[in-house]
Amino acid sequence: MEAAITDRATSGGSPARRWLSRRTAEQSHWLNLAVLCGGLAGLATVGQLVLLAGLIDVVIRKDGGVAAVWPWLMGILLLLGVRALLSIAQELAAQRGSQRLRQRVRREVLDHLAALGPVRLTQYHTASLAHQWVEQVEALDGYAARFWVQMRLVALVPLVILVLVAWQDWLAAILLALTAPLIPLFMALVGMGAEALNREQFVAVARLSAHFVDRVRGITTLRLFGAGPRATVEVVAAADDYRRRSLRTLRLAFLSSAVLEFFSSVAIAVVAIYIGFGLLGDIPFGPAQDLTLFSGLLILLLAPEFFQPLRTLSLFYHDRASALAASDGLCELLAETPDERRHVPDRLVDDAHLLLSLQGVTLDHSGRGRVLGPIDLVIPRGDVLAISGPSGSGKSSLLQVLAGFVGAGEGRRLVAHDLAFAWMDQRPLLIHGSLADNLALTAPDADDCRMMAALERAGLGALVRALPEGLETSIGEGGRGLSGGQAQRLALARIFLSNAPLVLLDEPTASLDAVTEGILIEGFRELAAEGRTLVIATHHPALMAMGNRQLIMDAGREVTCANQ
Amino acid sequence: MRESVTLVHIRTQLGPWLDLHMQRRGRLLVGMLLMLLTALSALGLLAVSGWFITASALTGAVLAMGGTAMLDVYTPGGAIRLFAVSRTVSRYIERLYNHDTILRLLADLRGRLFDALVRMDGERLSGRRASDWLNRLTADIDTLDALYLRLLAPPLVALLLSIALVALVGFWVPEAALWLGLALGVSWCWLTLGQARLGLTASRRRVQTLEELRSATMETLRGLAELEAYEALVRRREQLEGIEQRLLRDQWRLSIVAGIGNALAATAIGLCWVMVLVFAIPAFQAGAVSAPVMVMLPLAAMALSEGLTPLPAAFTQFGASLAAAERLNQIDECRSDEGHISDLPNGPLALSVEAVAHRYPGAMFQALEEVSLTLEPGQRVAVSGPSGAGKSTLLALISGQMAVQQGRILLAGHDIASLSPQCLSSAVGCLTQQVDLFDARIADNLWIADPEASEQRLWQALEAVDLADWAASLEEGLATRLGEGGRQLSGGQARRMALARLWLSDPGLVVLDEPFAGLDADTAERVRHGLEDWLAGRSVVYLVHEHDPSRPKPGMQGVTLGLELGLQDPLAWHDEAESVTM
Repeated sequence: MEAAITDRATSGGSPARRWLSRRTAEQSHWLNLAVLCGGLAGLATVGQLVLLAGLIDVVIRKDGGVAAVWPWLMGILLLLGVRALLSIAQELAAQRGSQRLRQRVRREVLDHLAALGPVRLTQYHTASLAHQWVEQVEALDGYAARFWVQMRLVALVPLVILVLVAWQDWLAAILLALTAPLIPLFMALVGMGAEALNREQFVAVARLSAHFVDRVRGITTLRLFGAGPRATVEVVAAADDYRRRSLRTLRLAFLSSAVLEFFSSVAIAVVAIYIGFGLLGDIPFGPAQDLTLFSGLLILLLAPEFFQPLRTLSLFYHDRASALAASDGLCELLAETPDERRHVPDRLVDDAHLLLSLQGVTLDHSGRGRVLGPIDLVIPRGDVLAISGPSGSGKSSLLQVLAGFVGAGEGRRLVAHDLAFAWMDQRPLLIHGSLADNLALTAPDADDCRMMAALERAGLGALVRALPEGLETSIGEGGRGLSGGQAQRLALARIFLSNAPLVLLDEPTASLDAVTEGILIEGFRELAAEGRTLVIATHHPALMAMGNRQLIMDAGREVTCANQ
Repeated sequence: MRESVTLVHIRTQLGPWLDLHMQRRGRLLVGMLLMLLTALSALGLLAVSGWFITASALTGAVLAMGGTAMLDVYTPGGAIRLFAVSRTVSRYIERLYNHDTILRLLADLRGRLFDALVRMDGERLSGRRASDWLNRLTADIDTLDALYLRLLAPPLVALLLSIALVALVGFWVPEAALWLGLALGVSWCWLTLGQARLGLTASRRRVQTLEELRSATMETLRGLAELEAYEALVRRREQLEGIEQRLLRDQWRLSIVAGIGNALAATAIGLCWVMVLVFAIPAFQAGAVSAPVMVMLPLAAMALSEGLTPLPAAFTQFGASLAAAERLNQIDECRSDEGHISDLPNGPLALSVEAVAHRYPGAMFQALEEVSLTLEPGQRVAVSGPSGAGKSTLLALISGQMAVQQGRILLAGHDIASLSPQCLSSAVGCLTQQVDLFDARIADNLWIADPEASEQRLWQALEAVDLADWAASLEEGLATRLGEGGRQLSGGQARRMALARLWLSDPGLVVLDEPFAGLDADTAERVRHGLEDWLAGRSVVYLVHEHDPSRPKPGMQGVTLGLELGLQDPLAWHDEAESVTM
């Protein structure tokens, strides 16, 4: 029965639970080590109590002084030390297991995100993905390091104590077992209570937080309408309202832990009174007649320890609930199947002249139907292809298929053996770090000199030279220090630094000022003059004019393709 | 990393939050006493049981040998039952009561944060990453609400429990009290102050590293296309793993510190009861205490675990609470100076923007190049420019959301810095580019502009933006909830809802940032028409994209914003007539 409930608590039910318990089980060597240390520490505690009972027995019944019980005291101190070391070892082993678990999960999720690719990720909110990857994975810590370990200790230590008590007095053992009508039942009880609590509390707290976050997010508007003070009152009132309502649930939910507390207190009381009367000789049956001061004291001392692991476990139920909530989200993310065709392009036969070729390629988006194709397209080396067409005509989709960010539905994508490509859209990659860091990310071998030259060509030279720290200037979190146009020019500098023969540009000049636009277009001309192959999706007349071929698209199909 | 942590620093950072807690000191005290009662019950239960069993054993032994002995079994029996019940009941009440307190504190904390946000200078709020920053603040508030249950009450309960124990032991074995008191004092200091000191750097930094990891992840995901193209994802992942490594290293350090703390707590408790025993045995042999008392005292000392055990884990993480408080306090430092002039004339207001420019902190470029414009009462002006030219910055400056750094802005002849916030918000009405709608009913969203508006007025407002028919078709009408951030609405509907809200207010100057963005031509025309009556008799500033079809029309004054540093003449006037019709 115990096993059944353990199983239900950790591995049954939803896929999220199964996933979590599987990932945890992978680290079981560290976690089991923690359980072992915890179990041994529990035994050390029991040993101390045995020594204490024995010591008192010697002092009272044999009239021994401190000198007579010196060895006993030393034993107790020794066990104290051992237990301290074991508890440190337990903590560290559990932490190591939990860290490896989190690292493993982070890698798994990041692999998965990378496999999904840039296009599929656009359907997610970046901030919430990052929150999942960082905080939600952190939430697994409490489950692995505390709950999982304690779950096993609950089954170990009380059993040893029960055996010990039974050896001294089987009736007391039965009393203990009766007041705790089987640990598993208790656990289920507490578990159900804690789960109900967590479910309701999670919902209530989440709703309250959502309300608060909602108002905080709109703070600018509230300020503009002078509604700030009113909203402050409202925020406080909402919190107060939730408080009153959630207390009603808590009143019930806390009962389950009160029951645990009650039974453990009552068990101690009943055992104490039973032993007391037994020692007085008032219980003329059963093993009570054989009770001694030693056995009586020992049983009394062990009774609280019998319940301690369970009480500790009930403290960790919150960790479990958070971890399960986190796993739910992570599993949902991992259940998204990546596009397998994305990374397996075919090789071009004639790659002396051609870089890339699409043959009868189609692309379908769930919910939107066919967005592209079937389309045939050949991109020779040195070509400059301008793709235009109304918005929604599939320009970006075509570019994404060319880049391999999405796998083609039907048809084939053939690439040259040396295909490397550069990419630029309206949201260039910017990382927290210096300008040099941002350039080095995509061109790790470039030295300062080459970087400066590239910036110069991208029209950022004067600006960077004027900066006191030059290339080492930090551009701040999310590129806060750069304007949109400067960021685009940084992306252009990256293209100059790379030797990629193919350059894919997705509306690179959209919503930029005329000056930046001019610089970018000049930059693209230079790239073309270098002999690089450019594919540009654009509305911009000047960019369209750059192409030696024009591709006009509508409704996912090529309308005309003209050479200039 | 940051300035070193001194006690003065801790006091100044946590001070305001402790003061906030102290407003509820009655509740905090009661909650703490309940915790103490629970711990004392546990102490009593174990101590009396030990006493009773020993006394029974001795009496039983005498009886068994045919002697006569008397033992009052009812008093200790009753005490044992009493403690068993009081431990349960006080624990239950304590949990309930303290959760109530925590939720009240949460309301206080949120109220305080919100109030501070309302009053702060809007520089941060206008930044690109404002929403991330605001989310972090709300997380910090949640960290601080644990202050009482983790850092304030437990150490005091532990202290009081220790004092109670020392008193109990001192009553029977006075010579033990001094040593026990000393040992407990040292342990208490170590488990609180010592642990806090050891864990301070790592736990404070951990929060920071988490933040760093999150923003690096966002950057990576946003730039995934480029990373994949340049085959740079592997390198970027190494960087991410590097940050994660730092995080894990700090956690490892904290584990060691907490592990040692926990072990020390358990050892200290063990040493205490052994010490009590070592003093009690000679006292028993000297006849100063009876055998049951000699057993009772170390058992009572074991109950210290109720008080000391929670301390190390909580105090090792002290730095996290400190860091949260530090960040929240920054908002107070950004408090804007408030003007006090509060009477502006009714009707259209004159606006004069004189050589205003703006640069956000840490930016390499100016968000707004020097711009000047004047607007007579009732006139209209169109300010156009590409994205990033500073249109939204100009709006934030005119509406007083941010302090003017350079130049000055006059509203009806008064510098806007000298106007009170209430006066300014009622004089200037704005439609921001990013529309904020709240997860509340339609009516609630509209009442933000005018809490006194009648339902009929609300319908008129919806009529003006061509949303009345739509709203009437909804099952719940004005009581329909809009969902988080107005998610239930399309972009165009959200924009019109915001315009309806603006319609309900009565400003003398209206600033509209791309008012018709996202609306199809027909709807835009209807809304333009619907708003015309309301706009007549107010001064209006339109902020429009340079490609926007609603850019300056013949007969309307226009201003173009420049963008890049030193690349062009930043300002060009359209030399058109200053007529105000549109």
